[in-house]
Amino acid sequence: MIARHDYKIPGGKLLRVEVEVESGVVLRAIVRGDFFAHPEEAFEAAEADLTGLPVDRLGDAALSLFSKPPLKLFGATPADIAQVLTETAHAAQAR
Amino acid sequence: MRLRLVDSRPLSKGPSSSGAVNMGIDEALLGSVSSGESPPSLRLYRWSPPCVTVGYFQSLDAEIDLDACHAAGVDVVRRLTGGGAVFHDAEITYSLVVPLGHELAPEDILESYRLICSGLVVGLRLLGVESSFEPINDIAASGKKISGNAQTRRQGCLLQHGTVLLALNPELMFSLLRVPAEKLKGKLIEDVKARVTSLSSILGREVAFEEAGEALKKGFSAAWGAELQPGPLTRTEAAEAQRFATERFSSREWNHRR
Repeated sequence: MIARHDYKIPGGKLLRVEVEVESGVVLRAIVRGDFFAHPEEAFEAAEADLTGLPVDRLGDAALSLFSKPPLKLFGATPADIAQVLTETAHAAQAR
Repeated sequence: MRLRLVDSRPLSKGPSSSGAVNMGIDEALLGSVSSGESPPSLRLYRWSPPCVTVGYFQSLDAEIDLDACHAAGVDVVRRLTGGGAVFHDAEITYSLVVPLGHELAPEDILESYRLICSGLVVGLRLLGVESSFEPINDIAASGKKISGNAQTRRQGCLLQHGTVLLALNPELMFSLLRVPAEKLKGKLIEDVKARVTSLSSILGREVAFEEAGEALKKGFSAAWGAELQPGPLTRTEAAEAQRFATERFSSREWNHRR
């Protein structure tokens, strides 16, 4: 199932996350928002690598993927993103 | 430091300062500065018709009421840069393209925002407006945002573009942006009035694009120690800009990519 969650980072940007889960596995995870990521393609590569992960590993994997050089984030941290992804995936799973 | 000050006269064909053309010119400058065909370049420009842009990581559909924009004759386009949705109407916009390692493009991204924005702060001071850089990417005057800026690094170059508000029209802006619930619109408009300001609000008079442009040029020049040398877009840049405008920035594939 698909779940969407918007999360305003205190004093920061707005993350708009969408996760599709089937049988405990992430089919698709999209992290949208008004943050900055350099290089942009590295962010999208990290996002694409979330596909196929078991939901219970999503948080740790996201933390690691979005922390991996050369990717640099401004306005959101890898921990913010990992947390919202995890919450959204659990919501999708519960549907 | 020498910078080419790109003549912002419209391209010969098509809508002169549409969202797609403006973003196309910025990308063409990235290409020409990257290849060494053109020197580091600064451009001042405006938007006609008005345009809503969204950040690289945003969804056009989620942020913008496309039907309302269409009805109002307002362009929409997704930027090469991150950050949020912006309604470009009564404002002055700049873009700067320099190679990485240039004195305005140190490795530290926040430091480069600060350096580049210092030119805006000096330009605003010349207009009689005291302001300061507010990390990550804003400039504030009287405690309110007056300028937003966004940067990307591609092809060995830094591209930063940003705006200074000449006037503010939050009612029109929120008629074009999606809001979580219609009943929240009034509160959002009040929030923007409390958090965002413009040159005309602060100075209590209208400020024309040309006046703001002259002040910003002087500000960039003084803060950066830069000699600005006016020069047109090259023939190649104009052709590339038109191509990017058509093939990328007018395409559904790009604008609705996320």
